Amino acid sequence: MDYSAYLPQLKFLAPEIFLLCVAAASMMTHLFARRNRHRRSGMVALAGLAAAIPVLLVTPAGGEIYSGTLNVDAMSMYLKLVFIIAAIITVALSFRFFSVEGFETGELYYLVIFSVIGMMFTVCAVDLITFYISFETFAIISYILAGIFKKELRSAEAGIKYFILGVLSSAIMLLGMALIFGITGETGFARIAAALPAAEPAVALSGMVLMLIGLFFKIALVPFHMWTPDVYEGTPTPLVVLLSTAPKAAAIGVMVRIMPLVFARFEAQWIVIFEFIAIATMFWGNIAALVQDNIKRMMGYSSIAHAGYMMIGLAAAGRTGGMAVLFYLLVYFFMNATAFALILLVQKGRGFGERIADLRGMARHAPLAASCVAVALLSLTGIPPTAGFIGKYYLLLAAMEKEMYLLAAAGALNSVISLFYYFKIGRAMFMEEQAGAHVFERTGPVTIVIAGSALFLLAAGIIPSRLTEYVWALIK
Amino acid sequence: MDILGIPVLSFITYLPLAGILAILFVPRERPRAVKIIANVTALLELCATLYLLAGFNVQAEGMQFIERAEWIPRVDAQYLLGIDGISLLLILLTSLLTLLATLSSWEAITERIKEYYIFMLLLETGMIGVFVSLDLVLFYVFWEVMLVPMYFLIGVWGGERKLYAAIKFFLYTLFGSVMMLIGILVLYFHYHTFDLMAMTESGSFLASTMQAWVFFAFFLGFAIKVPMFPFHTWLPDAHVEAPTAGSVILAGVLLKMGTYGFLRFSLPLFPEASRSFMVPMVVLALISIVYGALVSLMQKDMKKLIAYSSVSHMGFVMLGIFALTPMALKGAVLQMLNHGISTGALFLIVGVLYERRHTRLIAEFGGLSARMPVYAAIFLVITMSSIGLPGLNGFIGEFMILMGTFTVNWMWAAIAATGIVLGAGYMLWLYQRVMFGRIQNSANNDIADLNRREIATFIPLVLLAFVIGIYPKPFLDVMDKPVERIVRIVNPEFHEKKNSVTAAEAGPVKGEAHGGAR
Repeated sequence: MDYSAYLPQLKFLAPEIFLLCVAAASMMTHLFARRNRHRRSGMVALAGLAAAIPVLLVTPAGGEIYSGTLNVDAMSMYLKLVFIIAAIITVALSFRFFSVEGFETGELYYLVIFSVIGMMFTVCAVDLITFYISFETFAIISYILAGIFKKELRSAEAGIKYFILGVLSSAIMLLGMALIFGITGETGFARIAAALPAAEPAVALSGMVLMLIGLFFKIALVPFHMWTPDVYEGTPTPLVVLLSTAPKAAAIGVMVRIMPLVFARFEAQWIVIFEFIAIATMFWGNIAALVQDNIKRMMGYSSIAHAGYMMIGLAAAGRTGGMAVLFYLLVYFFMNATAFALILLVQKGRGFGERIADLRGMARHAPLAASCVAVALLSLTGIPPTAGFIGKYYLLLAAMEKEMYLLAAAGALNSVISLFYYFKIGRAMFMEEQAGAHVFERTGPVTIVIAGSALFLLAAGIIPSRLTEYVWALIK
Repeated sequence: MDILGIPVLSFITYLPLAGILAILFVPRERPRAVKIIANVTALLELCATLYLLAGFNVQAEGMQFIERAEWIPRVDAQYLLGIDGISLLLILLTSLLTLLATLSSWEAITERIKEYYIFMLLLETGMIGVFVSLDLVLFYVFWEVMLVPMYFLIGVWGGERKLYAAIKFFLYTLFGSVMMLIGILVLYFHYHTFDLMAMTESGSFLASTMQAWVFFAFFLGFAIKVPMFPFHTWLPDAHVEAPTAGSVILAGVLLKMGTYGFLRFSLPLFPEASRSFMVPMVVLALISIVYGALVSLMQKDMKKLIAYSSVSHMGFVMLGIFALTPMALKGAVLQMLNHGISTGALFLIVGVLYERRHTRLIAEFGGLSARMPVYAAIFLVITMSSIGLPGLNGFIGEFMILMGTFTVNWMWAAIAATGIVLGAGYMLWLYQRVMFGRIQNSANNDIADLNRREIATFIPLVLLAFVIGIYPKPFLDVMDKPVERIVRIVNPEFHEKKNSVTAAEAGPVKGEAHGGAR
């Protein structure tokens, strides 16, 4: 084997290496800074993450590197960008949250970066072992992040719950990978794909299904979604922005990559599975969200439903479906970030108001923020002229292209169901009077995040062609 | 044709947005400035649409003022605008009613004034957008965009049960819309374009079964909007709870979007399904006519009465559309205008009383004509226009619909005619109970007559009622070409059949058609 090419190939991993240095710097700051070490460690992390974006943008797409274990293609670059943006927003929202809650913690910031690095490798991985290691890297960190708010009982519960179920699903996934390896004798995705047609179908199919279960768990698809509302409720709000978006994006990115490549032989089977899961997930998520009073739980169920929408694109396997999913991923991130940032606008006593009732009268006190949140709610529902509509429209388009009428109708119907609960939030903000003495925060990163997201959602909803062309080019 | 270098249709679509932008910069403490900007914007909009009318070529076939640009080339969605006679009339109606609604809100709206006018103007952009878009995706976007400001207008400035009414309105219409979206996608995969003109010119249609399904999907979207029995249940709630201006727009323009959708999309794109579903559609229309009228008779609340009368009147429009004859179709289009004028005016009339007394119960009033002579006169004219008294607008429309329907099936016309009788009943009874007799309720002793601003809001509507009633020709001329075109597609045998029917029967019908239309 020729190892001489390995060193130059490092340049394709520049963003990951850079972020590793940032995480180390943040950690050192946390350990050795004299004053204000928590906050400073966060500042270092924030600056480093922001600087990682240009680094990522100048990094060339190198294709398969390191003997075919990683594939640094355009699609992975796109997903990496999503992860970094998610991390930036998470860190930015964390500062005030943890100081208001009186629980400053510096390790949070570099853990976020580590988990992002794990996800960045996951979406490049084209080899079972690389894939599993990077997958576990971000999975384990997300268990820690969920439970990081140690003095809060709910957070500890969330961490433990997420951990136990997460480890279980990882074990199931590992079993699937073992079956695939056992029957093909290969770890590289491309080689597995070549060997799979000759393999015993029952074993190969079981391997595929078990692997999918691990991914479904991370995306929180019905029936592997049970942990979601509890974990989101218990996890500190800024971190939910990360946990509810980035791991889903990573797992969906992996599916976009491996399903047509590795499991092309079982396309008919996995399309049926995806279709069924998509329908079940959309309905379950939306119907369960109807009865929630707690915004975080509601958004937990809403995020389940949105994962279901994205499954429409995967079930409608093909270029349009892939484009729709990648488009929706980014849009979904901004919608979700706004919805969770919304909670950080309401300061109630020492903590934050998480109930919908706490939002009453917000439009009077913070009209700009309320309007921006309204844009995000419209987008979540899928009403034009927002990016959420375009995203959903692409998903339906993909399903209709494959003549999956039932799937498309279910997707469309769910957008009507979801209107009901998203507008409970809108109603509280715009149409009800304030009850109780709490303040609506108007300054700081929260407003910037909300306003920026709303701006993006409107811009990408009115002029979606550039983003569309961009994601279209990512799918082969 | 351009205005200030902007193509005219884009200009009229986005002019209200410019008004919104101006309002955003006005501080909250200066509500008067906000009101002035909003009214001026609505007035400019009306002027712009009149300018559009001036440039419109009545003789031309097909769409005019076409604007075409790329929007999302990857999925073939275009920015495609254009109008024909039908859309032109509805655009004029929209800009007029929006101006009147804005003007009527001057004193009625006292809370959150800035937001109110922003939503009002946003609504106008949405409505105009619906009438000018010829690309189905673009059409859908405007169709949905319009729901949001309406939701807020009802939900924030509405009556007691406003929250319930607002979400009900939104849920119903959204449900219809998403089904239509699925239908739009089916069309796309048949025609490989969203361009409505290209679809109708291609001469090909969906296969029968699929056509029926897609017809049904579009039907859900449009019938809920109209609203047709049994999809009408959102309407009374929305109307009763909405502020006056909201009701005016809702009845005057939003309901027309449903019937407009049938004319613009359902008939030309699904001719076969339209023909085969003709009877069920007509039956639903007839039920709407009679049922709406009967329920109106029973109402104690004026607004609810007018809301149910809308169900009845829109049933007439639906009957005219699905009779599939040129005469009935023209009557339907004209009746769309008439309903906008008379029902819009009726809601303003109720609004005047509500502003003074904060109640809409008929039993609270009586004998008002003595205190409010000008009001009484205007109310009377509008009542007559709504009933369909000859010489006023309602008569022409209803007459043409009945005539056009009669040639297809006399039974339908006969049943529909009972709706007119009932209509006269509930409207006159309403007028009698509110205006005549002695003043029983002492609260009405000092009730003030209309002020100048209020009179100004009624004048254009009263004038229009007379103009259409006495000289409808220009209005019928404008819609002549598009209606002929629709009939050619949806009912191609009509012209052949007309010649083969015995002269005794066809003669007078044809004569009337020419008498009315030319």
